[in-house]
Amino acid sequence: MAKNHYLERFQKGWKIFILNPLGKTGIILLIIFMLMAISSFFIPLLDPMYDPMTGIDPLIKESMPPSFQHWLGTDNVGRDLFAQLMEGAKVAFIVGLASAFVSIVLGTIIGMISGYVGGITDRILMRAADIIMIMPSLVVLLILASLFGQFNIWIIVFIIAIMRWPAVSRVIRSQALSLKSRPFIEASKVAGASDIRIIFRHILPNVLPLAFLYMTFRVTSAILVEAALSFLGFGDPSQVSWGMMLQWVWKSGHMFQAPYWLLPPGICISLLTLSFYLLGRAMDEVLDPRLRKEEERK
Amino acid sequence: MIENDNKLTPIIELNGITKEYCAKATFFSKGYTSVMALDNINLAIQKGDIFGLVGQSGSGKTTLGRLLLKLESPTKGIMKFNGKSINDLKGKGLKTYRSKVQMIFQDPYQSLNPHLSIAETILEPLIVNKIGDHNSRKEKAIETLDTVGLTPGKEYYDRYPHQLSGGQRQRVAIARAIVLDPEFIVADEPTSMLDATIAIQLFKLLQQIKEKYNMTFFFITHNLAAAKYLCNKIAVIHNGIIVENGPSDQVIQHPEHPYTKQLIQAQPKLNF
Repeated sequence: MAKNHYLERFQKGWKIFILNPLGKTGIILLIIFMLMAISSFFIPLLDPMYDPMTGIDPLIKESMPPSFQHWLGTDNVGRDLFAQLMEGAKVAFIVGLASAFVSIVLGTIIGMISGYVGGITDRILMRAADIIMIMPSLVVLLILASLFGQFNIWIIVFIIAIMRWPAVSRVIRSQALSLKSRPFIEASKVAGASDIRIIFRHILPNVLPLAFLYMTFRVTSAILVEAALSFLGFGDPSQVSWGMMLQWVWKSGHMFQAPYWLLPPGICISLLTLSFYLLGRAMDEVLDPRLRKEEERK
Repeated sequence: MIENDNKLTPIIELNGITKEYCAKATFFSKGYTSVMALDNINLAIQKGDIFGLVGQSGSGKTTLGRLLLKLESPTKGIMKFNGKSINDLKGKGLKTYRSKVQMIFQDPYQSLNPHLSIAETILEPLIVNKIGDHNSRKEKAIETLDTVGLTPGKEYYDRYPHQLSGGQRQRVAIARAIVLDPEFIVADEPTSMLDATIAIQLFKLLQQIKEKYNMTFFFITHNLAAAKYLCNKIAVIHNGIIVENGPSDQVIQHPEHPYTKQLIQAQPKLNF
């Protein structure tokens, strides 16, 4: 029965979401990229030549434009660009979703504790959040990368998450502050509920929609940071990603000779971040009825 | 003998309770301004009373209710529950105290968590106080729903607050308050958000509960007529000071303080 309640809410929200042109565009784009990411698992199975990292076409010695064998052409050592693009979609999803998830979990828990407990705890946590928030995450990542050498992709994910929780926790904190003085929290306190129970049982379900909304925006920024880092040559060298593809175009001097190599990853980065941004905007309308058009309000 | 004892020790005793709110000194303003919410309140509530506290908005009546629940602490004064001081309760002692004292809040639209079902709301006090097991809790919850007039209880058990009307929500809030079988219930204007016919129904319900479980009620209201209808004793509070205190008939029929007279005159008289 409890499930039904959430299902009901979800269906109601979904209806508003899918009627929104922004939401529709975002979902369609996202499905295309998901299919790309899934296809990356199957392409290397066709022929080891199509492995995005190690597959080399033995007949090719230099970067080739699109052909029947290589739909998007090859890079300068004969690796298939289409396979790399699909692999890049998978990596972008992993980096975006994983780091957004970690930063949302951190930000939500810290925000709820900070808002609910208040006092000195609140001050310490929020000052920490301020300090991290003003640090430019790309520059910090570059410095760390140049100090410790090249990072593995999971460490990059983790660092992006650590850099990005403060904004979330500020929003969640302000929600928790307003929830804290609502009578149902006091009623639960009077019933004898512990602070932990109040935070996770009463405050969490009420801030969860907002946390999901922020997750979509975090995904966007994580993908962009990873791409920028890879393009600058500080990415994970054992992992193909769109930023890495751009870095290889640049390094091998094909920047202005091979548009078939340069453009696809650039366009993909823009469209994937756009699709998450559109999702976030449409979700915003679901959560905030004031943004909705008159006829959609109910 | 025991009867006598009960008469001697009131269930709730307030001695010189004072609550002061002060704005702290800031960078721009030195010193502080303070607001006296409650000034030297002395009250004794006997077991089995329905004690009415009547006053206008801002008179401090809700503050007094919150003090009794330990949601706030008094600046000065001693509060006693069954003869024992409750001023410094913490941790386990506070939890035990709160299982004996419950509250019904003013606004039923705000006092129920929209994400929890009626069952989850009513079960919460039982779960956090570790009373009974899964099955006995469920039985108790359904029985309590029946008691507050949401019959059959089973039908309301799995619903959510947004599926109920204001009156039904307030009944759920009452069920949550009585599910622990408390000795003392603070009802903070439980009917001010509801229309008059529903209010009368709820008054009758509170009376039934009082008789059935022998609970003591502290009924906070701005409505003297409601207090007269429901309570056997009435205190009138004005600007944080108790100006009149006594059995309700005496307070209504022979008011002594000018403010009480004013309140009685302000009651709308309807002649059909």
